[in-house]
Amino acid sequence: MSPSIIQVKKLSKSFGDRLVLNGINLVIPEGKITVIMGGSGGGKSTLLRHMVGLTKPDAGSIEIEREDIVRLAPEKMNDVRRKFGMLFQGSALFNSMSVFENVALPLREHTDLSDEIILIIVKVKLELVGLTGFEDFLPHQLSGGMRKRVALARAIALDPKIVFYDEPGAGLDPITASMIDQLILDLSQKLQITSVVVTHEMQSAFRIADQIVMLHKGKVLEVGRPEDIKTSSNPFVQQFIKGEHEGAIPFRQTREAYLKGLLET
Amino acid sequence: MRDFLGNIGSAAGLLLAGVCRLFGLGVRILAVSVQGSPTKRGARREAFVRQMVLCGFDSLPIICLVACSMGMVLALQGAYQLKQFGAVMYTGSLVSVSVARELGPLMASIVIAGRIGARMAAELGTMKVQEEVDALTTMGIDPVRFLVVPRCLALCVMLPCLVIVTDAVAILGGFVIGVMSVGINPDLYLAKSFDALVLKDIYTGLAKSFLFALLIGLVSCHQGLSVQGGADEVGRATTQAVVTSIVLIIVVDCLATAIFYYALPT
Ligand SMILES: Nc1ncnc2c1ncn2[C@@H]1O[C@H](COP(=O)(O)OP(=O)(O)OP(=O)(O)O)[C@@H](O)[C@H]1O
Ligand SMILES: [Mg+2]
Repeated sequence: MSPSIIQVKKLSKSFGDRLVLNGINLVIPEGKITVIMGGSGGGKSTLLRHMVGLTKPDAGSIEIEREDIVRLAPEKMNDVRRKFGMLFQGSALFNSMSVFENVALPLREHTDLSDEIILIIVKVKLELVGLTGFEDFLPHQLSGGMRKRVALARAIALDPKIVFYDEPGAGLDPITASMIDQLILDLSQKLQITSVVVTHEMQSAFRIADQIVMLHKGKVLEVGRPEDIKTSSNPFVQQFIKGEHEGAIPFRQTREAYLKGLLET
Repeated sequence: MRDFLGNIGSAAGLLLAGVCRLFGLGVRILAVSVQGSPTKRGARREAFVRQMVLCGFDSLPIICLVACSMGMVLALQGAYQLKQFGAVMYTGSLVSVSVARELGPLMASIVIAGRIGARMAAELGTMKVQEEVDALTTMGIDPVRFLVVPRCLALCVMLPCLVIVTDAVAILGGFVIGVMSVGINPDLYLAKSFDALVLKDIYTGLAKSFLFALLIGLVSCHQGLSVQGGADEVGRATTQAVVTSIVLIIVVDCLATAIFYYALPT
C-alpha cells in the first residue's frame, strides 16, 4: 500500500452525553480513494469535519502529512487547509454569489491569477461536472443535484491534494452519479489526488474504492479492499452490503425489545 | 434571597462573558485589518463597497424621513416651551444643538441598528446554519476577515456620514417649522442655529456615532456567527442583535456624553 497521508488515532467525540466517535483509528493512503460507509447518523460527516479541522475532538489526534492538526495554531491550520477541498453534504454554496463567483472564490482568495485565467479555470471545472453555461445562475435557481456539482467544482478549483466528499452521489440521477464517480476516479488516477468519500451507494463504493472503511456506532468495524469487504464474515458488514433490513442490525425490533424501550424512556 | 443574588451573579457573569467575547471579536477584527492580506485587495474592496452602498446610500431615504420628522417635532415642542420665556427666537439654537450633540447620532444609530444590524445578524446566522461559514473555513478563508471586517468597516465609515445627513436634514426640518408654523424670521432662525453650534458639538457627535457603528457591527456579527442550529436560532440572534445594539448604544451614549462634556476639559 502507498504511504499514508492522513492518520487518525484514537479519535473520540461526544455531543452532550452521546458518544458519536468512539476511538477511531484510520489510515488514509496517499493518492488512493478511501470510501467511508456506515449507517445514517453513524458519525461519517462528523469524522470528515474532524479531518478538515472544523470540529475539535475530545481526545485523539489527526495527522495530515505528519502534522497534528488538532493541536495546530489557527494560522498554520489555514496553510494546511489549502491542501484540501471539501464537498459538504448540503453543498454549502454561498447563496449570495453566482455559480461563477462560488467556484472562483478560492482562486481569487488564494492565488494571484488574473481574471481571464480564473475565468478559464472556472469554465474548465464547471465543464468537468457537466454544468457549462450555468455560470450566472444563483444557487437557489439550481436543483439540488446541480448545486452538489457546483460545490464539487468549487472543492476541486484549487487542484487540492486531498478532496473530501460527503455523499457526492446523493440526490443525483444514476447517470450523473456515475459521471461523478468517474470524475473522482480520474482525479485520483491521473492527478494522484487523495479522495475520502462518504457514500451510501454500494455500487459506486465498490467501483471507485481502493479502501473501504465501515463505520458503525462510532467505531471502525472493518477496513479493507473492496474484495475483502465483499467477502467479509462480519454480519453487520454483510447486512449493509446487501441492504437488508433484517439481520445483525435490527430495524424492526422484537415486541419485547420495543416494550422495554418504551418503558425505559 | 440567595437565589436572587445567585441570579444577579450569573447574569453579571453572562454579561461579562458577552463583553469579553465581543472584545475578542473586536481584537480579531483589528488584527485582521492591520495585517491585511497581500493578495486580492480588489475582491475585498468590492465587498466593502457593496456593504457601504447597502448601509449608507440605501439607508438615506429612511434616515432623511426620521431626521426631518425629528427636527420638526423638536422645533414645535421647543417653540412652545420657549414661548413661555419669550425666547422663541432661540428655537433654532435648541434644535441645532440637541440634534448635533445627541439626537442625530442616537437616532441615526438606532435606525441603522434596526436596518443593518438585523440584516447582518440574519445574513451571517443563515450562512452559519447552511454551513457556508464552515465552507469558508475549510477553504482557508477566515470568516472574520471575509465577512465581518468589510461589514464593520463599512458601518464605521458610513454611520458618521449618515449622522451628518441626519443633522442637516433635522436642522432643515426645524427651520421649515420654525419659519412657516412658528413664524420666526428665516435669517434670524438660521443665524441663531449656527451661532449656538460650536465645532465640539459636531465632532463629539461624530465620534459617538463611530463608537455606535462599531457596537452595531460587533454585536450583530457576533450574534450572527454564534448561531447554532436552525431557523428559530437565526430569529433569536436577529432580535438579540437589535435589542443589544440599541441598549448598548443608549448606555454608551450616556457614558460618552459624561466623558466628553464633564470629564474632559472643555
Ligand atoms: N453539532 C452537533 N451537535 C449535536 N449532535 C450532533 C452534531 N453533529 C452531529 N451530531 C450527532 O452525531 C451523530 C452523527 O452525525 P453525522 O452527521 O456524522 O452522521 P452521518 O454518519 O453523516 O449520517 P448521514 O449518513 O445521515 O449523513 C448524529 O447522531 C447526530 O445527531
Ligand atoms: Mg452525513
